[in-house]
Amino acid sequence: MAVADPTLVATSAVMTIDMIKASQMGMKAVGAGLAVGLAGIGTGLGEMGIGAAAMGATAENKDMFGLALLFTVIPETIVIFGLVVALLLLFQ
Amino acid sequence: MLRPRHMSRLLIVGTKEQMGTIVAELYRHDLFHIEDFVDQAAPEYEGFKIGMPLKGATEASSELIRLRAAQNAVRISPDEGEEVQKVSTAMIRSQIARDLPKIEEKAEGLVAKRNALDAQFKEREQRVAELTPFTNVPLDLDLYRDYIAIAPMAGYIGEDVEIPFSHEKYLAGKKGEHFIVVFVEIAHKEETERLLADAGFQPVKIPTDDGAPTMAASRYTQEITSLQSQISTIDQQIESLKAEHATFLQACDEMLSADVERAEAPLRFATTEKTFVAEGWVPSDKVDALTSGLVQVTRGSVYIEELPVDLEKDSVPVKYNNPSFAHPTELLMDVYARPDYREIDPTLMVAIVFPLFFGMILGDIGYGLILLAASYALRKVLKGDAGAKLLDTLRNACFVTIVFGLLNSEFLGFELPWHPILFSRALQIGTVGGEGPAAVQLLILAVWIGLIHITLGRSISVVNHANMDHGKHRSKAIIAQTGWLGFMWGLVITIWSMYAIPLMPDLSGMGKVLFGLNPSGLIGVLMILYGIVAIGQESLLDLMELPTIISHVLSYTRLVAVGLSSVAIAMVTNYISIGLIIGPQLKALSAVGVILIIVGVLIFILGHTLNVALGIIGGGLHSIRLHYVEFFTKFYKGGGKKYNPFGMKRRFTED
Repeated sequence: MAVADPTLVATSAVMTIDMIKASQMGMKAVGAGLAVGLAGIGTGLGEMGIGAAAMGATAENKDMFGLALLFTVIPETIVIFGLVVALLLLFQ
Repeated sequence: MLRPRHMSRLLIVGTKEQMGTIVAELYRHDLFHIEDFVDQAAPEYEGFKIGMPLKGATEASSELIRLRAAQNAVRISPDEGEEVQKVSTAMIRSQIARDLPKIEEKAEGLVAKRNALDAQFKEREQRVAELTPFTNVPLDLDLYRDYIAIAPMAGYIGEDVEIPFSHEKYLAGKKGEHFIVVFVEIAHKEETERLLADAGFQPVKIPTDDGAPTMAASRYTQEITSLQSQISTIDQQIESLKAEHATFLQACDEMLSADVERAEAPLRFATTEKTFVAEGWVPSDKVDALTSGLVQVTRGSVYIEELPVDLEKDSVPVKYNNPSFAHPTELLMDVYARPDYREIDPTLMVAIVFPLFFGMILGDIGYGLILLAASYALRKVLKGDAGAKLLDTLRNACFVTIVFGLLNSEFLGFELPWHPILFSRALQIGTVGGEGPAAVQLLILAVWIGLIHITLGRSISVVNHANMDHGKHRSKAIIAQTGWLGFMWGLVITIWSMYAIPLMPDLSGMGKVLFGLNPSGLIGVLMILYGIVAIGQESLLDLMELPTIISHVLSYTRLVAVGLSSVAIAMVTNYISIGLIIGPQLKALSAVGVILIIVGVLIFILGHTLNVALGIIGGGLHSIRLHYVEFFTKFYKGGGKKYNPFGMKRRFTED
């Protein structure tokens, strides 16, 4: 007949809470990574087309450079949103 | 401020004899933006013709072309030349006849020599390239020619071929790209050629040199070396010619360009047999100065009238009217579009807010100082007006960056001896415990900035519509703008009524009255509904754009997010280079340790260089993007005509 050792039960309970906390942190970190990573892919896909067209326009007319650069960074917003979500996940 | 310079439309009428005097006076003032006369465009100009150039135009043009050729020969770019002292045009005119032909002759001579040497150089290179494959064949070059009954063939081939006639064959090179030399009897030449062609034979020309191919090739290589040294001598001579005469040539260019521009001005005027008419724009406060100048040089025999301005029809040229600290920002405006004459010119707002955004994103004393130094160092490289303006903008932004760095207590990612004032951006990298960055507060602060900036943009839009539109459309447009504001703030108030958010008013404590909403929430919902109606009454399609309200406000969070990522890169660089590599080695120094420390220093420099580069993109591009995309789209039309006065900014000459 096994009688549970009260101290043992207590430590194992503490361990479990710690472990849950650690695992929660890990999940948050995974979420943050996914948020930035996937948003980055989205931005990349968006900038792909714009970048190519912007290069073409700049090759035709050098004055377009400023505007072309600007158009290219417009999809950056997507990755910024990802970054904001990641920051909120990590620091809230 | 906030408006372009006020312009007046002037009509100048004079006799043709006085055209030269008047043109010269207009040119000297550098104020008159000529409205080009278009033949038969306006009914009031019936019977007028486009003027003929003043005398001397052809001579000046051809002189200028020859000068440009000389400048091109010694490779002077328009921005070059030192502006040590302005020279009088009279002196240049006397020098031009004496010195310019000599310089031109010298430059042309040098360039002709260089071109001849270049041609020889290329020819020798070609010869060497032709000889190279033959160096692998053990035959003298004389043995390839002067046969009566034998045909030589040489070229590249994929793989060896069997030739079923009496022949001699040499094969060199590696598999797949063999070089083959075949000698066959003339009688079998065609068949052999066919056989070779089937195997993918590409014939090459057999060189006409004598002796062993290697000897011939090395002879040419020697010649190439000597030609190279001759070319570099000529280049030096050109360079010294340029150094000697650059300023003079630039001064000549300036003077002759002015001559040509003046002489060709009548092409933009309307003329009759005896008189001419010039129309154009002058800043209103300069009208008197220009008028009195013209009256003086013509002794009163000129007719000048200020014409009424019709803002709807006339496209008035736009001259910026800003305090001096905002001048550099005009470049950022021109990249987007010059403001219309009737709308509010936001240059001043950009000049204030852009550096603030830049500073907020970068916010580090170290990076601020590095970029500040760069903005001064690059002045030698980036010449011209646009370059100077760009660097001035960077300089202003760097000052603000340093101020924000002091507030954030950051130097290259290290914490300074004081705690961050306001909010901390320090992440926990390589440290345990501590508070971590106040990310949430900072993000909310950024949202506040976005709300205020967008509200400002919409308010300007109301003013612009009031100034630029008419009748029914005007009131509709203004109501729509208030609708956008109503929707945005209604949404914000509704959120406040539901959730308590730090740094924002907490309205969630009130009791619920209707549909689970408290009084403030109800007000918010009503504002949203008003917004939808107000936007819809102007254009139903605009309702599709409603989600952009949220995305545009949240877009301002980049001010914090990009900044924090820059802090993260800086701190990671510091942690890897100092915490992980240099620190432990310094405790027990060894020979290997010294190498590791050097590696650590390299990582430190590399990481921070990368971060500075990213900082320019992060701070500069993101800030200007917030203006162009989030701010300007609310109110800015642009498309104004650039004010381009008839005249020149003298750099080298004076009258």
